[in-house]
Amino acid sequence: MNPVPALRFVVRVALQNIVRNRGIAFASLLTVTLTLLGAGAAVGVVFALDKVLQQEESQASVLKVFMADHISFASALNLEHTLASEPSVQTASFENKDQAAAQASSTLGLGGALHILESSGGGNPLPASINLHLKNIAAVTAINNQVSTSDLLFPGPHQTDYNKDVIPRVEHYILAAQLGGAILVAVVGAVALVIITISVRTAAFVRRQEIEIMKLVGATDWFVRWPFILEGMILGVISALLASGVLLGVGVTFGSGGSLALGVGMRLAVLISLGLILGGAVLGSFGSLVGIRRSLAT
Amino acid sequence: MSISASPAPPRPQVAETTRPARHEPPIIVFQNVSKTYPNGAAAIRDISFTIPPRDFVFVVGASGAGKSTIIRLLIREETATKGHVLVEGQDLARLRRRHLPRLRRKMGIVFQDFKLLPNLTVAQNVAFAIQVTDPGRSHLKEKVGEALYIVGLEDKLNTFPTELSGGEQQRVAIARALVHRPRIFLADEPTGNLDPDAGWGIVQLLLQINHRGATVVMATHNREVVDLCRRRVLAMEGGCLIRDEQEGQYLKEGEANL
Ligand SMILES: Nc1ncnc2c1ncn2[C@@H]1O[C@H](COP(=O)(O)OP(=O)(O)OP(=O)(O)O)[C@@H](O)[C@H]1O
Ligand SMILES: [Mg+2]
Repeated sequence: MNPVPALRFVVRVALQNIVRNRGIAFASLLTVTLTLLGAGAAVGVVFALDKVLQQEESQASVLKVFMADHISFASALNLEHTLASEPSVQTASFENKDQAAAQASSTLGLGGALHILESSGGGNPLPASINLHLKNIAAVTAINNQVSTSDLLFPGPHQTDYNKDVIPRVEHYILAAQLGGAILVAVVGAVALVIITISVRTAAFVRRQEIEIMKLVGATDWFVRWPFILEGMILGVISALLASGVLLGVGVTFGSGGSLALGVGMRLAVLISLGLILGGAVLGSFGSLVGIRRSLAT
Repeated sequence: MSISASPAPPRPQVAETTRPARHEPPIIVFQNVSKTYPNGAAAIRDISFTIPPRDFVFVVGASGAGKSTIIRLLIREETATKGHVLVEGQDLARLRRRHLPRLRRKMGIVFQDFKLLPNLTVAQNVAFAIQVTDPGRSHLKEKVGEALYIVGLEDKLNTFPTELSGGEQQRVAIARALVHRPRIFLADEPTGNLDPDAGWGIVQLLLQINHRGATVVMATHNREVVDLCRRRVLAMEGGCLIRDEQEGQYLKEGEANL
């Protein structure tokens, strides 16, 4: 079979199907676009939340365990060793009071204030600490519980330095966005699939005479199918382009600097668009396959 | 070799007799075939016959006798409930679906209702059979022209089917069925919608196709045609084969009017 004229035939029939049955084709276009819009938006939101989470995690996975002033260097080292041997701990390092002061003056610009305090006889107010770098954010709570019972710790409310509440909350939002996105895409996607199937079934009904003759003169099943599959693919890809266009428009409108809304970069935007085009093509051709099945049954 | 395209060929002008090749293996075999439709209708009951290459066979019988069912079994639109249908030695029950196109391309098939596409011209209708089976085949125009020449419609290339008479429409359908140069030509009541003259023209054409080497099976109600042609007759009644005669007639003496 010569591919070029075959392709020409397939494309011509597919386009004719869309133009002749434009009502139902438009309905498919609309629902597939909605599905893909939902999917694209969900990906954007999940991405943005994930970035927040990553930031929180990278901060939180560094855990400072502050030491009480009275403890000896030996017991501090002892605690450091105990913590370093925990499987969830990547590295543990001891930071003495002087190092803490140096750190504070260099990164926080508190050198002047500390100097005044020390020279006025108040001494260095900053506690020594063991700085832990954890392998896994999930271990923070466990480690925190373990060390907080120790009497070696710096007294007061801020024995360790991390924000307990933010991470579970962000994780919660991500789960909600993923779940909501998945449900939306599933429901609207199912509707889109049904409408594409009806659309292709309509086109096949309009062409039932042609299909009958094609089978009679010995056309293969795939030759009968291809124009309808292409029809579904075209509808799916046009929908994907529309959805990408809308998402990009919204992204640019609410974006700032080099990135789109929600901090989505161009790279991700292109990836989402490509994903939507692939999704549209798959949705369209799958709906077509289901739609044309009955016409090929005999 | 071409036959007259005039609307009313002189009759009874019976074409030269073609000798069926009885010494060759049969091209069509029905072996104790029964067909019961899913609704329980027993359309064919245990019939057997063989057709040698280049034979010309009329299948006659009253309405509902099972003539069309024989055609449908041959093109494998239906499969036998019992027994075997063989075409060129191939048991159609064992034919895989993906090999069905190969079977159909060996066959030319026409029906009472022509099955032409109304929005295509005569030439496009004929070309369609090639485009959907062998797109890009070279010399498409010549092949279409040749088929239309055989049926005597070479001057109607750009006419639409609705602008043609019934007889001319059936000729277009025959031309379309001829483009694959079929070895087997099946016609289910091809003259059923035509006046006697046009019908006779179609039969002449089928005899011509037979003379060119194709095996022809024609299901028909047309008593006059069968009696004039004196070809092989398979007579059906209530799904049974009641008569198989060389140079037969529509009715046998003493047989009830079908
Ligand atoms: N698709 C079908 N489903 C169920 N029963 C059928 C079907 N096609 C045919 N029949 C039955 O099978 C029997 C034979 O039908 P068939 O069409 O072969 O007859 P026929 O000889 O061609 O008749 P006609 O001269 O009217 O065309 C009839 O009783 C008919 O009702
Ligand atoms: Mg019939």
